[in-house]
Amino acid sequence: MRTDFTPAQLADPAIAEADRILQTCVHYGFCTNACPTYVLTRDENDSPRGRIDLIRAMLEPGGPPEPKTVHHLDRCLSCLSCMTTCAVKVDYAHLIDRARTHIERHFRRPRADRALRALLAAVLPRPRLFAAAMRAGRLAQPLAPLLPKRLRAMLTMIPAQATSDILEPQVFPAQGERRKRVALLAGCAQQVLNDNINAATIRLLQRHGCDVVIAPGAGCCGSLPLHMGREDEAKKFAQANVAAWSGEPFDAIIVNASGCGTTVKDYGHLLGSDGAGRIGALTRDVSELVHTLGLARATPRAYRVAYHDPCSMQHGQKVTEEPRALLRAAGFEVVDVPEKHFCCGSAGTYNLLQPDMAEALGQRKAAHIESTGPDIVATGNIGCMTQLSRYLGKPIVHTAELLDWATGGPLPPALRDLPPPSVTPPPTDQPAADAGFW
Amino acid sequence: MSANFDAFFSEIESKLGGDAVNRSAETITRYAENTMPGGDRRPAGVVYPSSTADVQTIVRAANAHKVPLYPVSTGNNIGLGSRSASTAGQVIVDLGRNMNRILEIDDRLAYCVVEPGVTYQAMTDELTRRGGQLMLDVTSGPPQGGPLGNALDKGAGYTPYFDHFGFSCGMEVVLGNGEVLRTGDGSIDSEHLVNWHTSKYSFGPILDGLFTQSNFGIVTRMGFWLMPRPPAVQSFHFTFPDDDDLEEIIELCRPLKMSNFVPTLFRVANDLYLTASEGESKEYGSGKSLSDAGRRALREHFGLGAWNVSGAFYGPNEAAMAPMIQRVRDHFMKSGKARYIDHEQAKAIPTLQVAINAFSGTPSHGELGLLKWRPGGGNIWFTPGTPMDGKTANTFQHLCRKIYEEYGFDYTVMNVCGARFARGLHVITFNREDVDESKRADACYRAMAKAFADRGVFVGRAPLDYHDMHFGQTMPSFQQTCQSIKQALDPNGIIAPGRYGMK
Repeated sequence: MRTDFTPAQLADPAIAEADRILQTCVHYGFCTNACPTYVLTRDENDSPRGRIDLIRAMLEPGGPPEPKTVHHLDRCLSCLSCMTTCAVKVDYAHLIDRARTHIERHFRRPRADRALRALLAAVLPRPRLFAAAMRAGRLAQPLAPLLPKRLRAMLTMIPAQATSDILEPQVFPAQGERRKRVALLAGCAQQVLNDNINAATIRLLQRHGCDVVIAPGAGCCGSLPLHMGREDEAKKFAQANVAAWSGEPFDAIIVNASGCGTTVKDYGHLLGSDGAGRIGALTRDVSELVHTLGLARATPRAYRVAYHDPCSMQHGQKVTEEPRALLRAAGFEVVDVPEKHFCCGSAGTYNLLQPDMAEALGQRKAAHIESTGPDIVATGNIGCMTQLSRYLGKPIVHTAELLDWATGGPLPPALRDLPPPSVTPPPTDQPAADAGFW
Repeated sequence: MSANFDAFFSEIESKLGGDAVNRSAETITRYAENTMPGGDRRPAGVVYPSSTADVQTIVRAANAHKVPLYPVSTGNNIGLGSRSASTAGQVIVDLGRNMNRILEIDDRLAYCVVEPGVTYQAMTDELTRRGGQLMLDVTSGPPQGGPLGNALDKGAGYTPYFDHFGFSCGMEVVLGNGEVLRTGDGSIDSEHLVNWHTSKYSFGPILDGLFTQSNFGIVTRMGFWLMPRPPAVQSFHFTFPDDDDLEEIIELCRPLKMSNFVPTLFRVANDLYLTASEGESKEYGSGKSLSDAGRRALREHFGLGAWNVSGAFYGPNEAAMAPMIQRVRDHFMKSGKARYIDHEQAKAIPTLQVAINAFSGTPSHGELGLLKWRPGGGNIWFTPGTPMDGKTANTFQHLCRKIYEEYGFDYTVMNVCGARFARGLHVITFNREDVDESKRADACYRAMAKAFADRGVFVGRAPLDYHDMHFGQTMPSFQQTCQSIKQALDPNGIIAPGRYGMK
């Protein structure tokens, strides 16, 4: 795509980067049918290449964008499905982040929108504040029907039985021979919404010979503010984490919320420093590390598990095989979900800010998951878990919780009411009865 | 009487609802886009039917108001026209938006029935959900492309069910006059259609072929036969060092296919076809073809040859296929020039994984990377064929390679080999934003098309810019026959006038 930035504009590294990315888009259009919002609306401006055009038209003149542009860019999930399908590998992830930052700096949103975004940016990355807000929100839930749609969505999303154990800095020692010493990103919203994910991750890693360090000073990864266009705030969080994890030579930085993992792996780009790049390169999803280490002896539990690929995992990090391989190794029957390349509508704060689109996607995803007839749904991102739980009447757990359970940990709380397994795994060396003659 | 677009759109809006019409500037711009050298073609608007009845309504309104229509299914015909109409000013009938239902899957008789918008990915997902006992042959193109549009354009894959039109069975078509036709065993005048999608050749002439690469009707439903998914797929790969090894490769492949010892087609890809998907040309801008040194460097970097052969076996397990792999290996290695790459090694080479995916009926994106070999988003596919005769195939290689070089492009081809015939998928990637390069790409295509036609060889699928030219290469009676059929089935010429050269 041709662009028309002035030399003065291109002296700004951010614009220069956007210019490079814009020029790579040649409008093949493979991305359109892979884009959830385009498939729902069939509005070209709700497709990646439409948005890329809008971004060009916004950045070239600079200054405040058109409300229509903001509307369509806000509707982007940043699911990055377009990047998986793009033949020329347009770096849409960094382009949309650049666009969001521009909007945040140059566009005056309506007052209610500003207030909501400021609230989310202030509360979600701070676990104690978030925990307090959630308690208050639970008290306000009876008022939900009287509130505007987005506030209503926030209140209805508060889980009835959230267990919040906010981890203090400490070291969880390896069991048996120590094989790795890793830092775990304890995260922000996740440990408020579901503390068993961290607990299961830590037990799982300890059982696989890892010292697990919750480093002092580490906190929110910066993903939530970054995707709201608050780049400066995101950088502060990222810098704090880089400092916290640079104190000792960890073998890996482990992340168990894939939305965060995508951002931490990209710290080198966000902060533009070698130190940040090293931290990014050390970062692994928990499933990547356990897969490398090899799963410990598991007690097979023949449940049918629908594995939901979080977008940040499949499109952002390209981690798709490891969780499935581990779950199979643990004895579960793993089934893929139709249309797995599509987002469930969670997308960080998206389901709070764009409740209608998020609901349509959530229901679509839930129907696809339901169609596989699973006993359990497993995934690797708290955002997806929260979103799916609104539309799906099946227990939803983190992959690490299942692996922990299978290798000796306690039953995940979400599976308390799980009936006995409904499937018997077929023998692996024989084709199914009705298949062709082999 | 000239076309009355406003009356047409207003009738569609009143009968099908406002959501069925889109005339926004953004939509028109996007549906105009393609990758051809000849430029974009802005449509008059886009309509979205939701059913066969809606398509009939659209076709009848188009007849009444003399509005030309251009149906697209999933719109992924990249390199052959994308979803751009034959000429500017036609109305795109985007079937894929709403008509994307899998109408039927028969697990025992192994067939499916789909609407135009069903994608390869959607069908694969559904078959997986149902237990993964069946698979649909896929292309190595975009997963969001679909079987109906591909089969109607005579697209193909690589498994024993590679011939997508050949493995289709039973269509529902809205003709140019708005009437609905059922083909094959669906043509019986009954509400109980037992064999519509299991038998193609009962009573009467076989009409299905009329609707491939043509503009005689809009296909709204089509059956496809599905292949039982083998418990195991074991691929094999050989590299050959020299360009002229193609002659021997074709001779080696032919008997293996003639006897059907190898169930898949052979993918015989040159160095650039496989390596271009993994990067961008380092010599772009020289105005010349990639140098021999550049090609050598790519081959060494990726561990590939000037030619690379891929095929696969199906079986109950790896052990059962080992003796067959060994026989193929012995067969190829007797040349003294082949290097063997086994299935496990190939899985670690992304560009060979594409072949494994294709043999396994798994849609994947890998091969699309070819399209970024040069910047600027231009690409056209030239698809002649060669008999499975080594000398002829090699002569054609020399001919094409020379023309590519003459126009400063990089010879990029995969020969997909059956028993008697190989389709040569040649891609010309070019910078569409560079006027001179676009003109050269156009001239290169035309030169190759002429050179092959002069030797009695036709193309398969044709890029939109060249439909007229290729139609002009057919004999007069072929042209007259096609035009007579067009006149009979679509007397007002409202369906895709100009597509594949027929007005």
